Amino acid sequence: MPSFLDRESTVAPPGYNRFLVPPAALAVHLAIGQVYAFSTFNLPLTKLIGITHSAPGDWDLKTIGWTFSIAIAVLGVSAALFGRWVERVGPRKSMFVSALCFGLGFIVSAIGVHLHSLALLYFGYGALGGCGLGIGYISPVSTLIKWFPDRPGMATGMAIMGFGGGALIGAPLSVTLMKHFATPTSNGVLETFVTMGVIYFLFMQIGVYAARVPAPGWRPDGARARELEQPRPLVTRANVTVEVAWRTPQFWLLWGVLCMNVTAGIGVIGQASPMIQEIFNGRVSADAATGFVGLLSLFNMGGRFIWASFSDYVGRRNTYFVFFGLGILLYFAVPHLGHLNSTIPFVLAVGIILSMYGGGFATIPAYLRDVFGTMHVGAIHGRLLTAWAVAGVLGLQLVNYIRAYQIEHGVPKAQAYTVTMYIMCGLLLVGLICNLAMRPVEERHHHREPVLSS
Amino acid sequence: MSVRFILLWLAVGIPLFWGVWETVQNAMKLFH
Repeated sequence: MPSFLDRESTVAPPGYNRFLVPPAALAVHLAIGQVYAFSTFNLPLTKLIGITHSAPGDWDLKTIGWTFSIAIAVLGVSAALFGRWVERVGPRKSMFVSALCFGLGFIVSAIGVHLHSLALLYFGYGALGGCGLGIGYISPVSTLIKWFPDRPGMATGMAIMGFGGGALIGAPLSVTLMKHFATPTSNGVLETFVTMGVIYFLFMQIGVYAARVPAPGWRPDGARARELEQPRPLVTRANVTVEVAWRTPQFWLLWGVLCMNVTAGIGVIGQASPMIQEIFNGRVSADAATGFVGLLSLFNMGGRFIWASFSDYVGRRNTYFVFFGLGILLYFAVPHLGHLNSTIPFVLAVGIILSMYGGGFATIPAYLRDVFGTMHVGAIHGRLLTAWAVAGVLGLQLVNYIRAYQIEHGVPKAQAYTVTMYIMCGLLLVGLICNLAMRPVEERHHHREPVLSS
Repeated sequence: MSVRFILLWLAVGIPLFWGVWETVQNAMKLFH
């Protein structure tokens, strides 16, 4: 008899309302999206001994910054490693394991804070939490794609929008909790880690409870089903296994598409606050710049749902064509918008760039489904996320290095962004070429045997 | 529309709405 967590227990009965499944995906993504708000812990973690200031023996900012990088790198690696396992055991068990890893990651980090052990912080939030991120990221996406074959972009956009929204919840939650737990002898980080570990573990149980997979052969009713019968360019009805998929040129072209889109976006996110202050020298305060970063997270989140839904109507390749084409124009224009009296065109341009950064993440699973079919889409998506890990670590370093190099060579700070943005245009051009080169997978790569799992 | 449907969407919608509201308030600083 299958246990509650087994895949067999999650097969939906006939007539099941598929709109009961997106909240499961959102619960998991809203939780793990907290990783984007980890920076709220950066400063408090540098004052664990000194409480109000950094004392000798306290960790420095650069050392703590590695926690986030490790978490993102482990996200990519674990998504690649556990993708096949997630497909096999189903969404409920994988969401439970993700919740366990993510929640325990906070608890181990709290022990690390208590013992002042950096290794435990890296292992807890970075490695253990990172595994929770990787498994939790791909599991809901793969499930929703199977429930919404007629609107895969909208469905995955909804889940991945949750990942963007996770930061919006995580940042004020951690600040509120740290304030609540702060005492003259503690800045409240330890207690906040423990509380957040418990809260997120429990919140992710909504996903564990509500996760369902469609029965084998299930199709949406009526008009939606008829739409699926219409042949569309670059959309296959066949399946390609993960072992075959990652050896095809299409996989590596999409890897390039994601990597370039993410690197370019990270180049803006990482510099957003100093960029607006330095480009509008003296006209934008540090406080207003914080507001600008908040506004960008809204664009990032909204773009995930809007662009991915848009891709259902215009096609995935056309959507990425817009990301790269419009992206090149906007990245080129951004440094020059500082000459205008108003900040609004600059804010809008960077906002649209960030919406396309989020849109790139949200549209890629549907692109994979179009090209490789639904059978192993979760596992293939997992392997593709290594592009994110590379962009998150190397891309960020590249951007910082270019900027530091220019400032060292006498380029004024406000102008140092110009070259960085032009380099981003070059990266987007590479992405554009990868996207234009996309063709359907050759028939010899298609999976011949009947699909056993839905 | 079932009770389960409403409860599930409220369970994820309320925290998301709270996060968006906090962020919008923060973002307004840009225009002050």
